[in-house]
Amino acid sequence: MLNFTIRRILGMIPTLLLISVVCFTVIQMQPGSFVDQYLDDPRVTKETVANITRQLGLDQPLWVQYLTWMKGIVTQGDFGFSFASGRPVSSLIWERLGWTVFLALLTLLVSWAIAVPLGIYTALNRYSKRSAALNFFGYVSLATPDFLVALLLIALVLKWGGSNVGGLFSPQFIDAPWSAAKVLDLMNHLWIPMIAIGLEGVAGLMRQMRASMLDVTGQDYVRTARAKGLAERQVMWKHAVRNAVNPLISLAGLSLPSLISGTIIASIVLNLPTIGPFLYDSLLNKDQYVAMTLLLFSALLLLIGNLLSDLALAWADPRVRFE
Amino acid sequence: MRRPTPLALITLTLMTAALAGTAHAAPKKISGYGTLGVTTGKQGGTYTLPLGDSPQSLFYYGVIDNNLGLVSQQLFDGLLEFNLATYKLEPALAESYTVSDGGTTYTFKLRQDVKWSDGQTFDADDVVFTYKNIIMNPEARAGDAASFKLDGKPVEISRVNQYTVKFELPRPSPAFLLQMRSFIMPKHKLLKFSEEGGAKPSDINGAWPTNSPESDVVGTGPFKLATYTAGQKVTLVRNPNYWKVDAAGTRLPYLDRLEFLIIRDPQAQVAQFLAGNLDQLNVSGAQFPDLKGKEVAGAPFKIMRSTALFGSPPFVAYNFDAKDPALAKVFSDVRFRRAMQGALNRERIIDTVYNGLASLPGHGVAPINKQWYANTKAQLGSFNVAATGQALDAMGLSKKNSAGIRLLPGGKPLEFDLTYATDSSTYPAMATIIQSDFAKAGVKVNLRGILNSKLFSTGLSGDWEMILHGFGDQPDPELRKPIWQPGGALYYWHRSLQPAKDGDKPNIAKMAAWEKDIYTIFEKAATTTNVGERKALYTRWQLLFAQNLPVTPIAKPENIGAVSNKYGNYVYNLGVIPGYNPVPLIYQK
Repeated sequence: MLNFTIRRILGMIPTLLLISVVCFTVIQMQPGSFVDQYLDDPRVTKETVANITRQLGLDQPLWVQYLTWMKGIVTQGDFGFSFASGRPVSSLIWERLGWTVFLALLTLLVSWAIAVPLGIYTALNRYSKRSAALNFFGYVSLATPDFLVALLLIALVLKWGGSNVGGLFSPQFIDAPWSAAKVLDLMNHLWIPMIAIGLEGVAGLMRQMRASMLDVTGQDYVRTARAKGLAERQVMWKHAVRNAVNPLISLAGLSLPSLISGTIIASIVLNLPTIGPFLYDSLLNKDQYVAMTLLLFSALLLLIGNLLSDLALAWADPRVRFE
Repeated sequence: MRRPTPLALITLTLMTAALAGTAHAAPKKISGYGTLGVTTGKQGGTYTLPLGDSPQSLFYYGVIDNNLGLVSQQLFDGLLEFNLATYKLEPALAESYTVSDGGTTYTFKLRQDVKWSDGQTFDADDVVFTYKNIIMNPEARAGDAASFKLDGKPVEISRVNQYTVKFELPRPSPAFLLQMRSFIMPKHKLLKFSEEGGAKPSDINGAWPTNSPESDVVGTGPFKLATYTAGQKVTLVRNPNYWKVDAAGTRLPYLDRLEFLIIRDPQAQVAQFLAGNLDQLNVSGAQFPDLKGKEVAGAPFKIMRSTALFGSPPFVAYNFDAKDPALAKVFSDVRFRRAMQGALNRERIIDTVYNGLASLPGHGVAPINKQWYANTKAQLGSFNVAATGQALDAMGLSKKNSAGIRLLPGGKPLEFDLTYATDSSTYPAMATIIQSDFAKAGVKVNLRGILNSKLFSTGLSGDWEMILHGFGDQPDPELRKPIWQPGGALYYWHRSLQPAKDGDKPNIAKMAAWEKDIYTIFEKAATTTNVGERKALYTRWQLLFAQNLPVTPIAKPENIGAVSNKYGNYVYNLGVIPGYNPVPLIYQK
């Protein structure tokens, strides 16, 4: 197992290198330059443009830019600096990472806690009216973009005279020290992003779980379990669900990169202080080291997510372990 | 009652003398804004404004960033500022100034009672430091080095004594005073980032990054930085040392706290305003009806309309140097531009796109700008597609193909792209109206949408045929010289006039006669100090503009601001206009 893990981790290095080259190339192919956004300011002359270009190292050949960046990462763990703010990329990401991870994990947790039981329920009661209603709800929420749900919720809250429309806190709590009131205020704001972002996940996962459960309940070993006289509850939870949940574990691993890029629009609409909008801006303005670091980070998360889900699968599924 | 002792009497006399001696150093009294509805307010309260994104730095001259500008405006002051009602320049950190030597020497006497928000004394050293190491430093990304070089020669700044600074210009420049609105920075905090302090000239851009301690960011403005929470909020608190008082002598600002909530999405800003989390919001004509409806229905806010001086009136431009030579020839022909103006339905655009909250435009000068505006309304003509058709026929564009599109002399159809911004609240609707009206005149327009942020760079690149764009109006036409003077850095509809290097002479030989006229007018006005002569020159420019239409202005949008009923003394401000800051007057009722 340890051997397997180490081999997988070493295998990530060439993959990441390749990804970094691809990211760099794609960003360079985007027309225009970082300096473009400043051109309509009357203070900016051709000389200013030349100076900024030189200060940012954009006058260097592309391969030099790439190698300098890579060298910084390998030798000093330095991921370059943001053109916009002049600060190291890593500190800028660090600033936003806390809330991003918190929100992503919470949504993941909430959507799992809701989706898995619902999936099981709809699979077991395939033809009931309630299942049909739940399935319909699943289709609708899968088809509704998260930002639209967010906008609808905001409109609803406004109509009810609420003031928790976006953000994570009321203005007066943003820079206040932690207190019971602040936590309460957070809870009061949190449910909107949870529903808006989580809903899509719930619908997808629920349908996954339902399909997988339907698959499993038709299997021979379930019939055998029933035939040998096990209680229905035991058949379901120990034999069916246990097997049906495996594909979902792989799925969870794949959802790790959505930490960064998953909810850009919803984050903008809901005004969440996460990494998504940061990535969006860096791509629009060609703030290349920020964009590259985030894309690379996202790729790394995907690889790690895969590894983790493989490990989790091995833990959950003896068949994987014994192979 | 005890009789005063001789000693006490002497002390009293001395104190009176001291007071009399420093009488000229009194704080600036802000009064006379009754026309703007300004009354005496009371101290206290918190006022919350939106910020479109996190500021990228806390150092104003290190990054060109509108959000940083909005915050900086409350933290710093310039030597001069605008009168809020008349837009005339008046003293700010400078208490008075004199112009001598035929308009080439400007001497500023500074206020003596001004303190930085950390208690240090503000004096001439700060001013000289700011101009020498920051504003005139070509490596400072948001500096303004180009404005301090006249005909290639630098402006010299020197310290006369602790409270006097002197600028010596190589030639007279009547708009020079407008540059004196630039924010002055504290030398004692920034010296280590400057060339004078031994750093590289470009190191100044690294001053005050967003994670620097709040106490480092020191200014003379009405507020000082209290906290910055990344991605969420910037909080400023009252600067007790501020140098302005109201009519009654109460020290400004009235507010205790000024908060900026970082909200990126304009719709989310409206939602936060409606929810009462924001106290003021600038809105567009498109958002007006909904908010006005809520106001009328009793919502606790007011929507204020004001005729705007600042703000960007949209125009359409045709590329004189279009890649297709046949199109370039037609676009360069003034008859074509005038004819197409007749197919530009300004009234409909004002009605439907701006909900009536716009008026007919000026030519390069806002109609409310009483000092410089020349009435060019007659030249705007009226909407008449039939007349456009006749004018195009008269130009020799009368042949049409089977689809009803006019044919160019080479036989190709008169068809071109209109480049506009898709992520704007007004441009897409305008583009569609133009497209359908031009089609009625037999001119086919294809819409080419791009991002607002790329509009200008696309203009400069020359890769467009017709463009929908806007440049902000300013109080003095001299400030807009790079835009409206043929061959200027921003005169992008006729790029072949631009010199190879900034500051060189443009390609005058290639200019049309009227362009040469406008060019000379701007050259002359830039060195004429006589106000009457300048007015005559700029009037002639506006008429030439209106007749020859280098660009065709469409409308001048009004400024609309929404403000919560909890606050008094609200005066509209567009955003970052250094020297125009009405926030110190706002008070919580």
